[in-house]
Amino acid sequence: MTPFIHNGTEDTPTVKLDTSAPELLIAERSLPEDAYEFYKPIFEWLEDYAKNPNEKTVFRFELEYFNTSSAKQLSKILLFLKSLDKEVEIIWCYQLDDIDMFNSGKRFEKLTGLNFSMVSIPVIDDDDFTIITD
Amino acid sequence: MFNNKANEKALALELYDSFKDADLSYIYHGQFSQTITDLIIMLAETSMDRIGESAKIKKRVFSIMVESLQNITRHQDNTGEYQGFFAIEQKDGYYFVTTVNLIYNENIEHLDGLLKKIQSLPSEELKQYYKTVLIENEISSKGGAGLGLIEIARKSNNKVSYHFHRINDECSYFYFHTCISPINEEDEVNDTELVRIDNIFLLHQLLKKQNVQIIFNGLFNQENLINLLNIIENQMAGMGHLKRVVFNLMVEMLQNIVKHGIKNEARIGNPGIFFINRQNKSHILNTGNYVYNNQIDNLKIKIEHVNSLNHQELNDFYNKCLFNFQVDNSKESGLGLIELRMKCNNQLKYAFQTIDDEKSFFTLQVQVD
Repeated sequence: MTPFIHNGTEDTPTVKLDTSAPELLIAERSLPEDAYEFYKPIFEWLEDYAKNPNEKTVFRFELEYFNTSSAKQLSKILLFLKSLDKEVEIIWCYQLDDIDMFNSGKRFEKLTGLNFSMVSIPVIDDDDFTIITD
Repeated sequence: MFNNKANEKALALELYDSFKDADLSYIYHGQFSQTITDLIIMLAETSMDRIGESAKIKKRVFSIMVESLQNITRHQDNTGEYQGFFAIEQKDGYYFVTTVNLIYNENIEHLDGLLKKIQSLPSEELKQYYKTVLIENEISSKGGAGLGLIEIARKSNNKVSYHFHRINDECSYFYFHTCISPINEEDEVNDTELVRIDNIFLLHQLLKKQNVQIIFNGLFNQENLINLLNIIENQMAGMGHLKRVVFNLMVEMLQNIVKHGIKNEARIGNPGIFFINRQNKSHILNTGNYVYNNQIDNLKIKIEHVNSLNHQELNDFYNKCLFNFQVDNSKESGLGLIELRMKCNNQLKYAFQTIDDEKSFFTLQVQVD
């Protein structure tokens, strides 16, 4: 099926929905003015995917930040995955010092009953983090 | 216009009122870095593009902003005790740029002389004077020879005013105020009203007293919201968890204005004010915007409700709303106020001030300790 790819901007996340990749991905920042509208094509893709899902779906959330209107859309995605009736693994990433992002993952895990793997990633802060380029 | 009786709750309205005639006011008060400077210029650019400002005016505003900001960064007090100040205001097509920075008292005489000379010169001679200074004058240890000031005077058609305010035996504040006029030079009357500095002096005093770090007054939209977020992120770099919380609260508060504030018919965006001030170790985030009178009761109930809940109850309420897909549309998720209350761990303070039969001014204050 046709992948859905959206390159992240200052207020929208990077989204990679590609069945040939090992994981589906939402990453970086999600704070669009209209999250409902932004996430619409993602649900369209998921509904298509639901017609013939893989035996196992791995969905990686590697968000640095999301606003409340995005939170609602994320909970919808998770409930949708739950409804697939196939094996689902959620990889929930959080920066090591970001207790709120960690707690959000725990909250979603508890509320959806999905299988969550919590993964900590190094802190990215302009002050003490240097990007190494080739 | 300003008085010292400003109490916390009325501050948003007082500041908003003081900017009432302005289409845009943007003030930054704090330490200046290259990044902050770039972001301030970007914010002004976004705002000028939005209102469709002419290329000619934009160019003048830019060069005056660049020179002014350089003056501040060059001469700022690195201990952070006496913070720099930059303000840009737009009113009826006129732009006003004001800077405040520290100066050693021993340098006042020279600067005062230079500025008096600049003010006395007609534009042709000012051009000549610029060349003379460029060629002949000795460069001060900080790298300037007053060329920046002459340049600003030239670009503003000599609409500059200034003021020194003594702090102690060593230092003073240097106020420098300039105006960019939309009228062609030849049609211009010498309007001294435009270059009055006393209002900005009182504003600076008020902002210092209330420890206000940043103010944006104007039309709110997603674009300038991102810009303001970038500035705060930069200003708070290295503050870890606190930075995240403030960022978080700002997004929700500003998007409240973008989504629910009353629109300005003629322009793109919703009028309002946002500022952050500090009290001891707390950051206080403030917003003000217009709401319809018939929305007030509902809004009050919502705020009072989240204020009445304890930590566990808030958590449960958040979960309930998160999975309530009855409220799920472009405008609303039903989570914003709960999030504000949870993240700041304080009561939300608010007030409504009636404007007319139709609308009121709504102020919201969120304190992070």
